[in-house]
Amino acid sequence: MAGMDEIRQEKIQRFEEFVDRRLKPDLVHAIAERDKIFDQQKVFSDLRKNIENLEKNSVTSLRTMVNLGSEVYMQADVPDTRRIFVDVGLGFHVEFTWSEALNYISAREEKLDRQIEEYTRLIASIKAQIKMVCEGIRELLNLPAEGSS
Amino acid sequence: MEEQMQKRGTVTSLASLFPPEETHKASERVQNAISERWEHLGQLKKFIADNANLINLVQTLPNELHHNIMVSFGKAAFFPGKLIHSNEFMVLLGEGYYAERTSKQTIEILKRRGKILDCQVESLKAEIQDLKAEASFFYATAAEAKDGLVQIVEDYVEETYAHDVSEPGMSETDSARSFKDEKSGIKVDDEEFKRIFSIMDELEKEEEAENATEDEEDEKNEDDSGPSIDRAQEVESSLVKDSNLLSVHKDESSDGKAPVLNKSTLTEKALELPRNKETVQAPAMSGKEAFTGSIVEHTQNLESSQMEQSSTRGSKPVSRFKLRRQ
Repeated sequence: MAGMDEIRQEKIQRFEEFVDRRLKPDLVHAIAERDKIFDQQKVFSDLRKNIENLEKNSVTSLRTMVNLGSEVYMQADVPDTRRIFVDVGLGFHVEFTWSEALNYISAREEKLDRQIEEYTRLIASIKAQIKMVCEGIRELLNLPAEGSS
Repeated sequence: MEEQMQKRGTVTSLASLFPPEETHKASERVQNAISERWEHLGQLKKFIADNANLINLVQTLPNELHHNIMVSFGKAAFFPGKLIHSNEFMVLLGEGYYAERTSKQTIEILKRRGKILDCQVESLKAEIQDLKAEASFFYATAAEAKDGLVQIVEDYVEETYAHDVSEPGMSETDSARSFKDEKSGIKVDDEEFKRIFSIMDELEKEEEAENATEDEEDEKNEDDSGPSIDRAQEVESSLVKDSNLLSVHKDESSDGKAPVLNKSTLTEKALELPRNKETVQAPAMSGKEAFTGSIVEHTQNLESSQMEQSSTRGSKPVSRFKLRRQ
C-alpha cells in the first residue's frame, strides 16, 4: 500500500511539473505572440483609415511633425503624398499608390485575422490540456469533483 | 556541586540565531535587488547615450536649410519628404506642454536632462554599493555561523552600596542558606545578586578591619604574584579551592557555628563560581580559536585575582579557620 502511495505521489509530482514547466510557459508564449499580432493589426487598420482620410480630402501635400527622439519634434514637409512606401515585412518597403496600398492592407489584415484565429485555438487547446492534467491529479488524489468545473 | 551548573550569562551559537537557510535566503534576496538595480542602471545608460546622440543631431541640423528624409506615416508606412525650418524645434516639457525652441535652447534643455540622468546614475551606484556591503555582511555572518561562533550575553549587575544591608549575624547566614537552596535549579534574579554583593562588601570590610595589620604585607606579595599566573591555572585552582571551601563550610555547618568569615567566602564562592564556569565553557563551545574574548569582563580578572589572593590565603588561612573554630 505504501509503495502504491509512493508511486502515486511521484506521478502527481510529474504531472504538476509538466503543467508548471511546459504548459504554462507555452500558454504565456502563445498569448504574447497573439498580442503582437493584435498590435500589428491595429497598425494596419490605422494606416488604412489614414489613407482613406487622405483620399477623401484629396490631400496631395502634407506638413507634419517628426519625432527626433526624446519628444523633440521638427517640422517636415511631404510634397507628394500619392506615393506611399508600405512595410511588407523583412525590412522591405514597397512603393504603392493609395488604391494599391489599400488592396495590400486588406490582404494583410485578412492574414493577420487568420493568424489570430490560429493562436486563439492554440491557447484554447493549451488551456484544455492544463485542465485535463489538473483533473488527472484530482483523480489520483481521490478528491471529489468540483461542482463548477 | 550544583552551583557549577548555574550561569549568569547565556551562550547561543550564531548558527542557531542565523540558520544557514535563512542567511542563504537573505543573501539571495539582496542579490536579486542588486541585479534589479543593474538592469535599471543599464536602462539609464541607454537613455544617456540617446540623449548625447540627440544633442549631436540637434546641433548639426541647423547647418542645412533642409534635409531629405522619409517621413513616417504610422508605424508601417512612410512618405519621401524633407525636414524644413531646421532651426525650429518643439520640445515636450511634460504634461502635454510643448515649447518652441531654437537649436541652442534645445541643447540647453537636453543637457539639463542629461545632468538629471547622471545624478540618477550616481545614486543608483551608491545604492548598489550599499547592497553589496549588505550582501558581504550576510556572507560573513553565514561563514561565522558555519565556523561555530558563539554569542555570549551577560547582564551587567550594578553593585549598589546605597542598598541597606539587612540584619547581621545568624539571620544573615540563614538568608545565605536559603539563597543557596533557591539557587539549586533556576537563576537568581538581579535583586538577589545586588543584596549579596552588598553583604559581601560589608563583610569584607569587617574582615579587612580585623586583619588589617597582619595581612597587609601578605596581600602585597600576593598582588604581585597574582596576574602572572595563567588563566587556566587560575580557574583550576579556584575550582579546587571552591571544593575545599565547601568542605570547610560543611564542617562548620555541622558544628552549628557559622562564623562571619565563612559566610563571606561562601557567598563569594557562590557568586564567583558561575563566572569561572563560563570562562571555562566558552572556549569549549566555540570549538576552535573563534573565542573572540571581547565578552570577557574586566571584573573577571580582578575578582579572580582576588580569589587568587583568598586561595593563597586559603592555604594559610586554613590555619586561620582552625584558629577561629578553636
